[in-house]
Amino acid sequence: MTTGMDRFAALMSGQTPDRVPIICNLLDQGARELGVSLREYYSRGELVAEGQLRMREKYGYDTLLGMFYSALEAEIMGCRTIVYADDGPPNVGHLVIHTPEDINKLHLPDDLHAHPRFRELATCIGILKRESAGRWPVLGVVTASFSLPAMLMGIGQWLDLFLSGDPELRNRLLELCSQFCSRQIVALREAGADLIVYVNPVASATFITPQKSREVALPWVIKDLEVPGASGVVFFNGGGRINPILADVQSHTGIGAYYLNPFDDIGEARAILGPQALIAGAINDIRLIDWSTDEIDREVERIMHAGKQAGGFLFGTLLMPFRIPDENIKALVDAAIRHGAYAGNRP
Amino acid sequence: MTESRIQQHLETYLKALFDTDKPAALSIVQEALDSGISPESVVFDVIIPGMERMIGGMISDNMVTLSQHFLAAQIAEEVVDRLIPLFATAPEIQGHVVIGTSHGDFHGLGKKIVIGCLRARMFEVTDLGINVQPERFVDEAVAAGAEVIAISSMMVHTATGERGPKQVRRLLQERGLEEGIRIIVGGAPYRFHDGLFRDVGADAWADSAAEAPAVVARLVQEVRP
Repeated sequence: MTTGMDRFAALMSGQTPDRVPIICNLLDQGARELGVSLREYYSRGELVAEGQLRMREKYGYDTLLGMFYSALEAEIMGCRTIVYADDGPPNVGHLVIHTPEDINKLHLPDDLHAHPRFRELATCIGILKRESAGRWPVLGVVTASFSLPAMLMGIGQWLDLFLSGDPELRNRLLELCSQFCSRQIVALREAGADLIVYVNPVASATFITPQKSREVALPWVIKDLEVPGASGVVFFNGGGRINPILADVQSHTGIGAYYLNPFDDIGEARAILGPQALIAGAINDIRLIDWSTDEIDREVERIMHAGKQAGGFLFGTLLMPFRIPDENIKALVDAAIRHGAYAGNRP
Repeated sequence: MTESRIQQHLETYLKALFDTDKPAALSIVQEALDSGISPESVVFDVIIPGMERMIGGMISDNMVTLSQHFLAAQIAEEVVDRLIPLFATAPEIQGHVVIGTSHGDFHGLGKKIVIGCLRARMFEVTDLGINVQPERFVDEAVAAGAEVIAISSMMVHTATGERGPKQVRRLLQERGLEEGIRIIVGGAPYRFHDGLFRDVGADAWADSAAEAPAVVARLVQEVRP
């Protein structure tokens, strides 16, 4: 049997796998699989690992996602309140930074494993790694230093600080966030993550101009990866368009894989990146809530067609909303398997 | 002569907005006032066209970014608040909007941008903040005599959940308020799915903050006797 790891390995060595690898970013749906509340689900790494393993087995995609929810990073940085919903991801309910003085009081844990929430995450990744037995790449996820402040102080306050605020204060905050990001990458790899999904929405062209991104965000991408290195790192759009910043990120960081926004053109990304980099194309997964199976099939076919032409291609989703019906997740993966097959490997 | 000076200020103001350079933008506003241009002209001929051209994406072939939206709306709100008391006659208020993010949603950026655009366009705005209970939207709209409730959501579940706009709609129905109050929604999920506003019980949505004043104005007209 060809595994997800085989497909990723083929792509990374410049070969063509049997079909396009499929990344299906299901998170909260794991609680539904286990019949527990989201609060209970995320309380223990064992439960999240079980949910991820069951979902991969059920739908048949190619990766295991070693992530709880984005706000977990804010928790490790001191967020005291996480707000749970019944039907969506937990959210930051307390901002760590209210005033400029709070930045000076911000403290990084020396050892991430000393924090109970990180321990649960590491436990989850460890189980995924063990149960995968080398068959399915385990994805660890980290928020870039340039985007993390949005979770610590709110996006409006962060825009205010980096656009018009005190540069010294901004750099102090980014320095801390960058140390945190680097340590997390190292710790996630140690826990068992095969690939690191590096999430940087605030650096994307949806938030700031490419010029601003080059001037104020790119130096921090370089810094984030200075110690842990860019090997196995996937630059993830985080919901923003990234084609306009691809050239800068690629030429200054050595990152080898780029996960596009649904509104980024796949052919254009290939033209910017050249032949070596891997490209993941993402479907607009909010539409999966109410698209028919025919509509899903047509959209997957369109993306796969563009991806195969581009080469070095992976098919993916953003973070799939809880409301997507089970049959539509199945339809998505079935269509991706069917349309992602390379010649001579039709299922 | 004055017209060309105003045009010149508008162009330099747009450049400052495009560069997300707030100190430069505010300094251009002050220069315009110092040169004898009236507060009304600064607001209606520089600030508002600047904001709408920036947010409407009309000053560049490139995509306009959220940080540019944010800054344009923020400056517009600040300057308009400062200059309105200096107007020769008080401007006509276009309508009253209560606005907040839906219950469970802690993302306030889109709301802030929309508030700036609405205030600059002479709407009275009551900002209920983030994570607003549906009952509060309705109670505050009634208390303020608002014609429009605006609900911002960044996440799918807060847009579509039972404590979001759907419940606001139910409350308006139950209290017999639908004739006098309209609901507008906005935020990322609606941009990824342009029919979603109907599913959540809204009367309208705006694709960008620049569109919001026109859509709100239409809703106000619908409910005004």
